[in-house]
Amino acid sequence: MGLVEQTQAALAELFPEPALPAAPAGEGDQEAPPRQAGVVVTDAARHGSHLDVLCRPDQVVAVARVLDQDGYFLEAISGVDWLDKGQFEVIYDYNRLGGEHCRVTVRALVDRNEPAVPTISGVFPAADWHERETFDFYGIRFQDHPNLIRILLPEDADFHPLRKDYMP
Amino acid sequence: MTVPVHLRHDETFVLNLGPQHPATHGVLRVKLTMDGEYIVKAEPVLGYIHRMHEKMAENGTFAQFMPNTARMDYLHALAFNHGWALVVERAAGIEVPERAEYIRVITVELNRIASHLLWWAAFLLDLGGFTPLLYAFDDREKIIDLLERVTGSRLTYCYLRFGGVYNDIDDEFIAGTRDFIKRLRGRMPRLYHDLVTHNIILIKRIKDIGFVTAEQCRRYGATGPVARGSGIDYDIRKNEPYSVYPEFDFDVPVFTEGDSMARYMVRMHEMEQSMRIIEQALDKLPGGPVMGKAPKVLKPEAGYYYSAVETARGSLGHRLVCNGDKNPYKLKLRSPTFSNLSLFGEVAEGMLLADALAFMGSLDLVIPEIDR
Amino acid sequence: MGEENVPASIVQFAQLDKLLNLGRANSLWPMTFGLACCAIEMMCTGGSRFDISRFGAEVFRPSPRQSDVMIVAGTINKKLELAVKTLYDQMPEPKWVIAMGNCAICGGPFKVKENYNVVEGADKLFPVDVYIPGCPPRPEALLEGIMMLEEKITGKRRWPRVQPG
Repeated sequence: MGLVEQTQAALAELFPEPALPAAPAGEGDQEAPPRQAGVVVTDAARHGSHLDVLCRPDQVVAVARVLDQDGYFLEAISGVDWLDKGQFEVIYDYNRLGGEHCRVTVRALVDRNEPAVPTISGVFPAADWHERETFDFYGIRFQDHPNLIRILLPEDADFHPLRKDYMP
Repeated sequence: MTVPVHLRHDETFVLNLGPQHPATHGVLRVKLTMDGEYIVKAEPVLGYIHRMHEKMAENGTFAQFMPNTARMDYLHALAFNHGWALVVERAAGIEVPERAEYIRVITVELNRIASHLLWWAAFLLDLGGFTPLLYAFDDREKIIDLLERVTGSRLTYCYLRFGGVYNDIDDEFIAGTRDFIKRLRGRMPRLYHDLVTHNIILIKRIKDIGFVTAEQCRRYGATGPVARGSGIDYDIRKNEPYSVYPEFDFDVPVFTEGDSMARYMVRMHEMEQSMRIIEQALDKLPGGPVMGKAPKVLKPEAGYYYSAVETARGSLGHRLVCNGDKNPYKLKLRSPTFSNLSLFGEVAEGMLLADALAFMGSLDLVIPEIDR
Repeated sequence: MGEENVPASIVQFAQLDKLLNLGRANSLWPMTFGLACCAIEMMCTGGSRFDISRFGAEVFRPSPRQSDVMIVAGTINKKLELAVKTLYDQMPEPKWVIAMGNCAICGGPFKVKENYNVVEGADKLFPVDVYIPGCPPRPEALLEGIMMLEEKITGKRRWPRVQPG
């Protein structure tokens, strides 16, 4: 079994329901039915990642553990502010250090008013600084993070700059 | 590997390294809790040069972000240009002509050599040697002259466009590049290796200092020469090929010791491999246009896109989220040095302060890239 | 910072002041305050091709207490502005400031509508003597800036002025 299929099988155990094709960003509700949680194979030459996983916020730690056991490393954590849908999205990118290449993108949507996601810094210490940065820019609280303070803005800043409704 | 020392935590003091310090390569502040000369806890504090690149990406068009890419890591600015051009070309489906791809590779590799030369000079300046800076800057000025002929800038290049490059290279550039490679190859054994690499003072200062294991690299996401110095064979130009790199025959230097000497040797060998790539590219350079067809107003299809390129410091990623508009909806820049520096806190525990600075120099930090 | 406070004393040594100014102008010791990209061009000026040592300024002092001129090379941030002001205050008199690069003059490419973190120019914090535009300015431009500062200190310029065209 190739690496992509192997990882897909390992992750699919966390998502017992079948997955529909991915909905494009920003157009989910109009054109296609919204996608259920699940693991979908994407075109790596176009999108850069081989697998796209849409999960609930409470599942991110389980997904991180599966990928840690398979030998992936955490490449980046980004936040996206979907202002019109009232949601924040946290995107985790995992990649392999050497050997065959496979990039897995894990996305989790949280409510914009009370954004809280469990931290994965217990599994990947790299997440420590990435989650601090996402908190700094968006105000997403990562539960049980060892040191959730601002990293790039001054410590006494009282705004989250990358929110779409922020303009100085 | 930490030095086994009995650390009395009740007799420690806090020492502030930076933000203005000759050896921190920019504005980095490290809060050090010290017991005498030994570090008990090291905590880097970032944000002193945070210049809002991600916010500027959301409020401008795709083309307007190209100058920003050069200001992040100004030492390897063309690779940052390349990463941005790559992700937008993937998202919008723009084709790049072959001659443009070859020119991109030649200029990016020349810039990589210039970046490693400056790293070498600054590293030795941190350790107390001033002369290598003069030799390295002399060679670097030759590269800058060549690149200035084609791009117009000395440091912060904005040379790549979506679909190619905006200016073609001429015969004088090609002849000048070949002369430069011959010159650098001639100077390397005596001025670089005899004077510095085999120097007993350098060896005593960086050999067996700052051990980073492969597992630490994976847990912290360290890539580039930091990972290759710890035995991990990971180079995006080979593992996730982009542009025309598959057509060239070059090696990826990997050293397994994991100390600062290994990272030093990785970068010295990388300069030689870059010269090999440039020679092959100049020999195989095809004719044709240097700019493909790109729409005037770029509106890529909505979706999630990622591109990774290998810069002098590691894997640079662009995480782009488009929603069909003429501005990017969200751009996240995955900076290689951000991840490389995050292992400083764990590795520097128990080290002598002077050794910690040698270790920091071997990580090759550029702070504006960390802070974006 | 154009005027000098001449101490009120009965006997004024005008010739000695001129000699001291000549000495100060030809041995300006800069403080290493390279923040961002302009710092690399400052290092290139210190290299052997452009050679700032001809003007007596190759001794980059890390400590503000030992330097004459602060070359602000790079962007100043809201997080950093207190540190910059402290460094300026720690420099002993007589001191000068050169704002090198667009970021130090006015915020440069970061003076945008959504600017939430960049201080728009070094002269918002302390008086600046010479402004060197460029992003980054060429090393020759930094040398011209040092020559202009020398002209400001001594009143005379010892090198020919480059005529355009």
